[in-house]
Amino acid sequence: MTRQLRLILVLLGLALASLATAGQALAHAALTKTVPADGAVVASAPGEFSLSFSEPVAPLVLNLIGPDGTSRALTRFALADRTLTIIAPADLAHGTHILSWRVVSEDGHPVGGSVLFSVGAPSAAPAITANQTEPAVRIALWLGKLGLYLGLALGIGGVAFMVWIAPIPATARRPIAGFLVLGLLSLPVAFAAQGLDALALPLSGALEPAAWQAAAASSFGRTALVVGLALLVALIALRMPDQSGRLVAILGWLGAGTALAASGHASAAEPQMLTRPAVFLHAVGMAGWAGALLPLAFGLRQPEGVQALRRFSRRIPALLLAIVLSGLALAIVQVEHPQALLTTPYGLVLTGKLVLVAMLIGLGAFNRYRLTPAAASGRASARPLLTRIIAAEIAIIVAILAVVALWRFTPPPRALAAAAAQPATVHIHTDKAMADISVTPGRTGPVTITVSLLDGQFGSLAAKELRLALSRPEAGIEPIERQAAKQADGSWQVGNLTLPVAGRWTIELEILVSDFEMTRLKDTLDIRP
Amino acid sequence: MKSLSLAALVAAFAAGPAFAHVTLETQQAPVGSTYKAVLRVPHGCKGAATTNVRVRIPEGVIAVKPMPKPGWALETTKGKYEKSYDYYGTPTAEGVTEVSWSGGKLLDEHYDEFVLRAYLTADLKPETTLYVPVVQECEGGATERWIEIPAAGKAADDYKFPAPGLKLTPKK
Repeated sequence: MTRQLRLILVLLGLALASLATAGQALAHAALTKTVPADGAVVASAPGEFSLSFSEPVAPLVLNLIGPDGTSRALTRFALADRTLTIIAPADLAHGTHILSWRVVSEDGHPVGGSVLFSVGAPSAAPAITANQTEPAVRIALWLGKLGLYLGLALGIGGVAFMVWIAPIPATARRPIAGFLVLGLLSLPVAFAAQGLDALALPLSGALEPAAWQAAAASSFGRTALVVGLALLVALIALRMPDQSGRLVAILGWLGAGTALAASGHASAAEPQMLTRPAVFLHAVGMAGWAGALLPLAFGLRQPEGVQALRRFSRRIPALLLAIVLSGLALAIVQVEHPQALLTTPYGLVLTGKLVLVAMLIGLGAFNRYRLTPAAASGRASARPLLTRIIAAEIAIIVAILAVVALWRFTPPPRALAAAAAQPATVHIHTDKAMADISVTPGRTGPVTITVSLLDGQFGSLAAKELRLALSRPEAGIEPIERQAAKQADGSWQVGNLTLPVAGRWTIELEILVSDFEMTRLKDTLDIRP
Repeated sequence: MKSLSLAALVAAFAAGPAFAHVTLETQQAPVGSTYKAVLRVPHGCKGAATTNVRVRIPEGVIAVKPMPKPGWALETTKGKYEKSYDYYGTPTAEGVTEVSWSGGKLLDEHYDEFVLRAYLTADLKPETTLYVPVVQECEGGATERWIEIPAAGKAADDYKFPAPGLKLTPKK
C-alpha cells in the first residue's frame, strides 16, 4: 500500500469516527491564560506571546493585526503541553495590537478568540480630516461669502447710519448702493458654491440643478433668502426720503442680523438660547459700526460732518460693548479651550481676526479721544487726517471680513469634537430580547460600549450578566470578548477597550437572563477610521 | 507549514471520547420511562476545581431522585410544574425543579459523575432533544454554564456552552 493511500484510508476512518459521534455535544478547548494578558498595556514589545488552553490544541490560524490595521500571519510557534508559544515579530509598533487565534482541540471543534494588547500605550484616536472640495469651488465660496459680508457690513450697515446717527451724505449714497449691489451679485455665487461644496462637485457643476437644490436644502438656503431681502430693503431705504427711509432701514438692519443668525457654525452651536441671539447682536453691532465709516468719511469733507462724528463718538461705546460681549460668548462656546486658538485652523482664524479688531479699536480710540475733539474745536488739519484714518479703518474691516469668510472652511473645535464623538449604534430586536448598542466614539481608538437591554415586548430585562464579543471575520479578527459592567441606570458598559481597525465589526451579546437561561443577539456596526 | 495543516486536519477529524463539556452518559431514551441520568464532568472551570454542580430539571421530567455523593451536600429545590403529569396513574403537579451537589472539590485533572433518576413523561415529544441545563461552579468564583439550548435548525456544536442533550424516542 502506498503512503498516500494509507493516509487517505486513515483520514476516511477518522471521518467516519467523527460522523459516528455527531449529534453529541463535542468539547471546545477554553483559553485559560495569555501572555500578554487580554487588554494589557506592556512597556516594551514582547518577544513572544503565549496562549494556554484547558486541553491540548493545534493552531489553525494565528494573525497579528497591528495598530495601522495591517494583518500578518504568525507562523513561528511551539506547542508544549497545553501552551502555545508564538514568536512575536521583531518590529512591533507602539499602539494596540490584536492577536487573533483559531485552534482546534482534540475533540475536533475549532475555537477562536482575540487577545488585545498595547505596546507603550493604547492607540489614540487618529486625527480628524475634513473632506476636500476643489480649490476653485473653495475660492468661489470664499469670494461669495466675502461679497455678502461686504454687502451686509458696508451696504446695509451704511444704510443703518441714517437710523442711529444722521442722514446719509449725498456723496456716500453711491458707494453704499455699490456695496448693496455687490452683496446681491455675490448671493448666487455663494449659493451655487455652497451646493457644489455640499455635493463635492467641480466648479463646472454650477449649472446643474442638483447643486442649487442642495444649497437650498442646507441651512444656508434660509440665510440666502433673508440676506437677499435685507439687501433689497436697504436699497429701497436708500432711495426714500430720510424720515420714512429710516423705518425701512431698520428692517434691513435687523434683517442682516437675522440672516447671519439663521445659519453657520456659531448659530448652530448649543445652547441655542445663547448663540442665536449672540450672533444676531454681533452682526447688527458689526454692521452698525462698520457701515457708519463710509458716511462719516464722506461727511467730513464738509465742516457739518463733524456734528455726525461727535454723535457717532457718543453712541459707539454701547454698540462696541454689544459686539465684544456677544463675540466673547460665541468664542467661549466655539473654541472650548484657549490653546485651540493657536492649535486649530478655526482658532487661528479667530486669532487673526482678533489682531485686526485690536488694530481697528486702536485707530478708533485715537480718532475718538484725540482727533474728534480737535476737529470739533475747529482745527483744520484734523478733518483730512480723520478721513484718511477712517479709510484705513474701512480697509481693515474688509480684511476682517475676508478673514472671517475663511471660517466657512474651518469647522470650530466644538463641531470637530462633536463629529468625532458621534457614536456608532445598532439596534437588535428578536422575540426574546432587544438591545441598543452604542460605541462611543464610533471610530478607531479607545471606545466605550454601552448596551441597554429590553425584553422582546419592550419590558425591562433584568439580566444577570452580559458578555460582548467583537469580531471582524473578513479581516481575520476572531472575537474580542469583554464582560460588561452594570451601571446605576440599569444599562451595561464596557470601557477600557481600544478598537484599532475600522470597518464593519460583528458584535455578539451573550445575555445571561437567569442561572439557567442564556440569550444571544448578533449584528454588525460600522466603526469609522 | 505542511505539517501544521496535516496536524490540524487529523485533530479536526479525531473526535475522541474526551469530552470537555458536561454531557449525559446515555444520550437516548424513550418517553414514558424511567431514565438514569449520569452527568459526566470532565474538567473544572478553566483550570479551577469544581465545587458545585447544579441541574435544572426540564419541564416534563418528574419523580426526580438524585443519588447522594460522599463529600457533597445534596440539595433539591421543589416547585410547581406548568401542568399536571401522569405518573403511573398518579397526577403529579409539583416536584423537584433543581438539584445541586455542593461543597465538594473536584480537581480539574480529575473526573467524576453525578447521578439522578427521573421519569420522562409521555407528554414529552419523541424525536426531539431534551436539554438539561447544568451550571458548574468552581473555586475562586468561576462559573461554567452549560445552558445553551440550540434554536431550531442549529446544532449543539454551534454554541459555546451547549446544555447536555438527550434524544427522545417513542414510547415502548
